[in-house]
Amino acid sequence: MPVFRYPTVSGVARRVRAFLGPETGVDGHSAGGVAPENMIWIFGTGRTGSTWLAAMMEEPEGHDVWFEPRVGTVFDPQRFQRHGGKHFILASQYKDVWLRSIRNFILDGANARFPELAGGYLAVKEPGGSVGAGLIMEALPESGMVLLIRDPRDVVASWLDATRKGGWQSRRRGEGGRRAESLAETNPNAFVRRHADAYLQHVGSARRAYVAHEGRKVVVRYEDLRSDTLGTMKRMYGELDVPVEEARLAKAVEKHSWENIPEEEKGQGKFYRKATPEAWREDLTRRQVKTVERITAPLLEEFYPKGPAEQQG
Amino acid sequence: MMESLDGFAMWNEPLVGNLFGNFYYFRVGGRKLGKHSILGEAYKETWLGPMRDLVLGGAEARFPEVVRGGYLVIKEPNGSIGSPLLMEALPESRMIFLIRDPRDVVASSMDARSEGSFLQERRDGQRRTSRPDRNPNAYARLRASTYVQQIEKTRQAYDAHGGHKVLVRYEDLRADALETMKRIYSTLEIPVEEAELARSVEKNSWENIPEEQKGEGKFHRKAKPGGWREDLTPEQAEIVEGMAGSLLRELYPFPSTA
Repeated sequence: MPVFRYPTVSGVARRVRAFLGPETGVDGHSAGGVAPENMIWIFGTGRTGSTWLAAMMEEPEGHDVWFEPRVGTVFDPQRFQRHGGKHFILASQYKDVWLRSIRNFILDGANARFPELAGGYLAVKEPGGSVGAGLIMEALPESGMVLLIRDPRDVVASWLDATRKGGWQSRRRGEGGRRAESLAETNPNAFVRRHADAYLQHVGSARRAYVAHEGRKVVVRYEDLRSDTLGTMKRMYGELDVPVEEARLAKAVEKHSWENIPEEEKGQGKFYRKATPEAWREDLTRRQVKTVERITAPLLEEFYPKGPAEQQG
Repeated sequence: MMESLDGFAMWNEPLVGNLFGNFYYFRVGGRKLGKHSILGEAYKETWLGPMRDLVLGGAEARFPEVVRGGYLVIKEPNGSIGSPLLMEALPESRMIFLIRDPRDVVASSMDARSEGSFLQERRDGQRRTSRPDRNPNAYARLRASTYVQQIEKTRQAYDAHGGHKVLVRYEDLRADALETMKRIYSTLEIPVEEAELARSVEKNSWENIPEEQKGEGKFHRKAKPGGWREDLTPEQAEIVEGMAGSLLRELYPFPSTA
């Protein structure tokens, strides 16, 4: 129960303004550092190729990547759905106040981590924080946004492989990984259901943010990245209005291509598994496919409108 | 009682501590937050500032009248998980560490969440059967675990806080509200008029709550220290004592009669 003497608030505000001086922008941020309009947010969900995409985006001169800050998880609006009162720190009546704070959180964090990037571009790989994508894009309306998607059946199949006994995810996550591993082994259907729900939640939130965002934005499908990486990257930067030298981009694409990953780092249970669109046909049972299709139906229909597996033969 | 005094306002559960504390301490599954994480330890200075702004901005927007000189009391027991971060972001603030016997806390919580209680009615539709009714022992364990988590974090914040601070036991407030309130204000170095404080204590006393608003299943239930002896089974008392043992011994150093 902290109690503070309130005159401090105005005093602090005055001191902060005086400290920042005349160079300060309207939101209290100096002109230096990472410009919000040069930030590119990547939302979606895990196992959609975001690491691959981020690796390519890190290559051009003057570009860098902020790897999963999880700011969207901190401010996950679904966590606080039942706290609707005006006293709640994120009460809708005071949105302009706390949205400014979220903006400051992000910009201060970016500037501290990437001080050398003044004038450059910062891609923020944030699929795991997609639940908060709406708030983030509202706090940074001048930033660019990538909605990175992949067939949910392949995403779930990839998670299932990663979390099974000996999979890279269960090794990395210790106790939490062992619990997930246990579910993947003992009840794979429940595991599939849980991950299809997570896909709907993450990608659904990211999609809503994408629709609401009025700034530069682009949808990138993993399958398009796989079939024509350079063409897709060029289209992405074009839509985002980010100038990138084509030769440089081609080099980045080549460097991070599937073919250039050492064979011993690829395969079942490894971070780099198959990279084959529609591999779910081999990986999931018919029942599991139906489960994923039922849960993620609205997104599947919009982004993969071939119809359910049964109709595809 | 604090809100009733002239020049005081109360911010009722902003849950800002929950927002940050949950993520910082628990959401990452016990893993250390890396340098890229927005709440990464290495960049603490960069996020404590905006966190401070979030609290101060929120306070200014909600209580503009207090800006002219007054005190804002922030009731934040359910945000206690983030109290170490909050007090670090606001080192000049004062802090009250309010505790109550965990057995009474669990008993009260079980009553509040039982079928037909005020809280259950408020949350009607969320759950068909309340947890304490389904499995009272499991609920006692869960609630005791939350108590330990919250009180341990609050104690961590209290120990680290360099500003004015005071430890208040609910039982002392019940036994002698006025004296305990006087001790709070003098320790926090906040001047209050004794007559006004006495009026506030009287106004908010248990005896002045209408009878129909008190009793089992209501927000105002017993206000009786040691009431857990009637409310908990010996097994439930043992569960709580087992989980909160070290805190109990430290804060309530008398033997159990369970």
